Amino acid sequence: MIANLGKRKTTMLAGAIVAINGFFPALWIFFTSLKTETELLRYPITIVPEDPTLQNYTRVFVDQPILLFMWNSVVVASLSTLLCIFVSALAAYAIVRLRIPGRNIVLSLLLAVSMFPLISLMVPLFQTMRTLGWLNTYPALIFPYAVLSMPVCTLVMASFFQDIPADLENAAMIDGCSRLGALWHVVVPLAAPGVFTAAILAFVNAWDEFLLALTLSSRVASRTLPVGITLYQGEFAFPWPIISAALVVAIVPICVLIAIFQERVVSGLTAGGVKG
Amino acid sequence: MGASVTATTGAKRYKLSKLEKSERLLGIALLTPAALLLLAVVVYPIVELLINSLYSYRLTRPGYRFIGLENYAYALFEDDRFWHATLNTVIFAVVTVPGALVVGLGLALLANQPFKVKWPVRLGLLLPWALPLVFAGLIFRWFFEYRSGIVNAAFEFVGLPPQNWITDPNLAFFAVCVAIVWKSSSFMALILLAGLQTIPKSLYEAAEVDGASKFQQFVEITLPMLKPAIVVALIFRTITAIQTFDIPYAMTNGGPGNATETMAMYIHKTTIDFLDLGYGSALAAIMFVVSAIATSVYLRHTRRDTGRN
Repeated sequence: MIANLGKRKTTMLAGAIVAINGFFPALWIFFTSLKTETELLRYPITIVPEDPTLQNYTRVFVDQPILLFMWNSVVVASLSTLLCIFVSALAAYAIVRLRIPGRNIVLSLLLAVSMFPLISLMVPLFQTMRTLGWLNTYPALIFPYAVLSMPVCTLVMASFFQDIPADLENAAMIDGCSRLGALWHVVVPLAAPGVFTAAILAFVNAWDEFLLALTLSSRVASRTLPVGITLYQGEFAFPWPIISAALVVAIVPICVLIAIFQERVVSGLTAGGVKG
Repeated sequence: MGASVTATTGAKRYKLSKLEKSERLLGIALLTPAALLLLAVVVYPIVELLINSLYSYRLTRPGYRFIGLENYAYALFEDDRFWHATLNTVIFAVVTVPGALVVGLGLALLANQPFKVKWPVRLGLLLPWALPLVFAGLIFRWFFEYRSGIVNAAFEFVGLPPQNWITDPNLAFFAVCVAIVWKSSSFMALILLAGLQTIPKSLYEAAEVDGASKFQQFVEITLPMLKPAIVVALIFRTITAIQTFDIPYAMTNGGPGNATETMAMYIHKTTIDFLDLGYGSALAAIMFVVSAIATSVYLRHTRRDTGRN
């Protein structure tokens, strides 16, 4: 009985270490965002805000175009996710179900793309978008983001599609469905969890991306959240009260998303196991 | 009744064979959108990159002149800043890849317990992964602030003098490493945790019966069983470490001086700040080659892995 209790305590301790390691930085920035500027400058520092205030948040929403950054992030992440899922679902289906020539080459190519150094793409993409006049527009980010998540989405969906019995499709086709009809009416509903998992991964990847957004979309009006907040910093000083509040505002949506779908995200990450 | 069954199977056979003929065509058709996107966003830019790397091409002055391999020669033989950035990138990789593995393995072992409530641990591993790299950089920059940072507060608490984490070159390098390890270890932990959960419990029970200690069980069972996952995770992390950009950009912007400038940051500065597309392309092409070598190692490994399974 006592040994059991001790074991439960060590288990709790182990869990607490993992949880604190993951939560602490976000929690600390949340505390920071609630402190007044004078409290932030006080020495020695305070841990829990003594006089919690929302003034930093008002400043972020009123003085800074954070809603615009967020809108840009939402548009770019959603549209690139849609494009990515559409393209990857077709490719995944072809890889799993159809006898296509060079299946292994396609798979290797996908893995290779997922490892591709973004910085090497950044230089020519900057030039191409400049020539096209696409700098600081949504498509400049949507198309590259769709491609960047394509490998992981294809692999995740392929691993889900594999578990759908082919007989179901054949039965649908015997009943007069075309191959694409069978795909739409039989495979898609069954594959929905896989598609959804892939979509979350694509969305998070796009929401988090920084290098291309910084390069291709650096004008204030078209900045996404990571670029917008990182470029708050002036030449010399970091306006920490504003940055901390802005970080909280930017982190909350993605936190809610992964909190709701945590099991899916974990299964997707370990199934695709390629992109982080 | 017997007749209708034969009719159905007959129809099935007919349809399937017809399908087999069109399968190839449909397969290619389904892969076309993906292939087109890849061509536009990856293949074409890389060709353009390789061509530009052979030219003198600056947006700050007119002219687009073929100079052969001069950009490469300058980078490899004359550009000290390039070599300095390369060295920084290598040291970052050498420190943070094993660092993330050790921390990630620790987290995975801690997380591999029969918890009653699973979400705090799961979210604790997912949150660092989901956080944008630059945000992790900003938060750790705040941790390491001289006056208001929690690290110096902790130092003072245990009686150590506060340190200039961001303005001292070596300490800045160390601080960036800490942020990278924190950010990348949780993804590592998720992959290793999935590996841990596939190890049959019976192995540990048998070892227990044989009187093996926990440490012996870890060395003799856990590590060998995890090895494939560890190798893949290591190679994968190495490839991403070569591209390190976001965290040092947010924490130090390469400073103080160029103490934490990575290859990716130098390429970005050359291209976007100095607008030297020719030279930037040559540097990016070098990076591409290095990455391609690492990737081919990775591919060979995963292929052997799937072959074994």
